[in-house]
Amino acid sequence: MAQERSRGQTVSDAQAATIAQQRETIRELQTPVIQVWEGILALPIVGSLDTARTQDMNEALLERIVQTGSEIVILDITGVPVIDTAVAKHLLETVSAARLLGAEVLIVGLSAHTAMTLVHLGLDLSGVTTRTTMAKGLELAFARLGLEVVRRGPPAPAAALDRGDL
Amino acid sequence: MPRVPILRLGSTLIAAVQEDLYDRDALELQEALTAELERTGARGVLLDVSVVETIDSYLGRVLRDIALGAQLLGAYTVVVGIQPAVAVTLVELGLELHGVRTALNPEKGLALLQRLFRAERRRGASDGR
Repeated sequence: MAQERSRGQTVSDAQAATIAQQRETIRELQTPVIQVWEGILALPIVGSLDTARTQDMNEALLERIVQTGSEIVILDITGVPVIDTAVAKHLLETVSAARLLGAEVLIVGLSAHTAMTLVHLGLDLSGVTTRTTMAKGLELAFARLGLEVVRRGPPAPAAALDRGDL
Repeated sequence: MPRVPILRLGSTLIAAVQEDLYDRDALELQEALTAELERTGARGVLLDVSVVETIDSYLGRVLRDIALGAQLLGAYTVVVGIQPAVAVTLVELGLELHGVRTALNPEKGLALLQRLFRAERRRGASDGR
């Protein structure tokens, strides 16, 4: 009887440990800070933003800004299902914190639906630059840094070269 | 002996804070900077706060006041070197330092000032026509 209870105890301990480990993994995975170019960082946000996550995200982001000397941060909210007042407030916190370190934050991945929601909620995002897609955000970031992407010739996809079509 | 030395480099004043600023030091800095701006006619102020580990609401307000005062005297202010932890605290307190320009380090701060000077010259040139 006592033995059985202790086995049950061990199983639940192991489960608790697994859950803790998985939670840690999710926490690490949920906010990667990617350097997409010299001076440009990108944060793809997937899932909803709560206070704890925003704090983790801010911490990681600010550290990377200092480390890389980046001047532009692109926050991609394509993967955020719902933007409500709380999420918007958290996003604005990130924008303000990064600005204090001298970095400009662009928020990209706004859908028409999100835009309408923000307007209906009466949230003021006038101090924030927004774009619809990551591509447009990157283009703007390049412009801010005085960079330009130009095509040097006709496109030659690597796959075609490999097949010996050319 | 002022606690924060103010150096002049071209048309820019550089004030590098050496230790945590208390209320009186902050006010002294504000007065000294404003007086120096008037005396030299400098057009930019670079304020390095990289060693400051706590910015409370009072210091936040003084920083904003320095920027506003400098603006009245025709100068741009850039605060540089705010530590990440300080930035997080400021935002949590709701002190986003609106109206104060910021840069990561002195080098980027000086570059920002140069850009502002150039933009002003361009505007001035087009106004003159």
